[in-house]
Amino acid sequence: MWADPDRCHSFIFSGGDRMEFKNFSLFINQTKVNRFTDDLAGGRIMSTLCKKCEKQYYPPQADCSSCMGSDMEWKEIKTEGKLLTFTKIHVPPEHFAVRQPLMPFSSIQFEPCPIGIIEVEKKLPIMGWIPKMDIKKIKVGMKMKASPFTLPDGKITIVLEPV
Amino acid sequence: MKKVAVVGIGHGKFGVRSDASLRELVFEAVKACMDDSGITLKEVESMVTGVAGDEFSFGIQPSAQVHDYIGFHPKPNFRVEAACATGSAALRTGWMNIASGLADIVLVVGVEKMTEVPTSTATEIMGRAGDATWEYPFGTTFPGYYAMIANAHMAEYGTTEEQLARVAVKNHYYGSLNPYAQMQKEITLEKAVTSFTVAYPLKLYDCSLITDGAAALMLASEEKAKSISKKPVWVAGLGCGTDAMRLGDRKSLTSLEATREAARIAYKMAGVGPSDIDIATVHDCFTIAEVVAYEDLGFCEKGEGGKLIEAKETYVGGRIPVNVDGGLKSKGHPLGATGVSMAIEITKQLRGEADQRQVKNAEIGLTHNVGGSGQVSFIHIFRRG
Repeated sequence: MWADPDRCHSFIFSGGDRMEFKNFSLFINQTKVNRFTDDLAGGRIMSTLCKKCEKQYYPPQADCSSCMGSDMEWKEIKTEGKLLTFTKIHVPPEHFAVRQPLMPFSSIQFEPCPIGIIEVEKKLPIMGWIPKMDIKKIKVGMKMKASPFTLPDGKITIVLEPV
Repeated sequence: MKKVAVVGIGHGKFGVRSDASLRELVFEAVKACMDDSGITLKEVESMVTGVAGDEFSFGIQPSAQVHDYIGFHPKPNFRVEAACATGSAALRTGWMNIASGLADIVLVVGVEKMTEVPTSTATEIMGRAGDATWEYPFGTTFPGYYAMIANAHMAEYGTTEEQLARVAVKNHYYGSLNPYAQMQKEITLEKAVTSFTVAYPLKLYDCSLITDGAAALMLASEEKAKSISKKPVWVAGLGCGTDAMRLGDRKSLTSLEATREAARIAYKMAGVGPSDIDIATVHDCFTIAEVVAYEDLGFCEKGEGGKLIEAKETYVGGRIPVNVDGGLKSKGHPLGATGVSMAIEITKQLRGEADQRQVKNAEIGLTHNVGGSGQVSFIHIFRRG
């Protein structure tokens, strides 16, 4: 399915014109952790680390809920870990619904992409698409790696692949 | 702290109510609640309105639409919100009004008008009840969150898709006996397990419904309750708990920590334990949610929820009857009304007015209502007067 870039674009980011947060998120554009997406485009998945109490955050936070400090530093994540859980959403929300094809009396079959959450380092959860696997072969606990992925139109996302 | 009783109940018909607006739905429930309690709005001192979504109500201040239409102004009324647990948040707020001494008679209203937007829009609105910044970019939906809980539960405890489907079969059976339910139709196990996949492994019949509906409760202080109602039902325990926004940050993916915390507090306040509960309504937004609720509420051991439904222990006559009003699954799930509707079912059961669905001699009942994918949970325990 990912061999066809137009297809994967159509189901993942059909609401692409509304993408914000520098091409990653949908609704939030203004945040103190905006740098996250620049690093993602550069091939790194980053966390933040509290300089005072050393609590690590992914997704990154600008503030530490553990000691209420705000002195944080950026730290790259080692993105190999085990799959906590997964699903494959067949009935998508409006943003992700496939556009109707222009040709009358035709339809394209909607084949969604599985998603999952892996746990890396010290219990950091990373959510991502699992484009290369059949849902029946995905098992909780399997070893996977998260990587940034740039879609054909320049939007950035995260994919999970078995290692 | 004053004691608080439910002295009146009013339930509107749940379903695709294209015949009525949000405020008209509320009118039906309030009118029924006045008739049941014998209390007029003149005697009601304060009101609380539960509505979950601005997007559904087409405007902010849906609570003003409500008090305007039933002519409650200039007395106090405001909206509370806790996603799918909004109705229980409204009940808790109503209870606070009386327990604190601010008022003696309070009207609690829950309502949602969900079917006027297209299903894909409703799916999006509810999908954003997760983390809109960090989860929604991966196309997450409400069924998607619970599907991830289901896959984790199945991997850890061997829970099966068939066990999940058995929850749907039960709840549809009881929905068929509830005149206020959206789907008054029994289903077979085969139909449930062969229905199309919404979010793997959850199928159509694992999912609750998108519903229009309203429900209302009349609450009163001890002094007033005894003169208003021959069968007051006392609010004996209240619990509320919260958890992390995102699923991945939770301590457990097979349990809702918010529910466990709410249960601990509510059981303690009521001075009872899980084995004392005669009847419960739990948050079955998806079949897996009911299975997890059995475990989190202590109705069975952790991981044994699938077996509990398989042994039919949650039917009337079983160890602990659950959702014998049809649940969210078949009665419907109008977000703001759901928690109020749950309290109505328990009140009916404790009054002995649940007809064919009656649990014999029920004395203590429990409601369990979850917001979002488990970010907040409310439990109320009721005792027959």
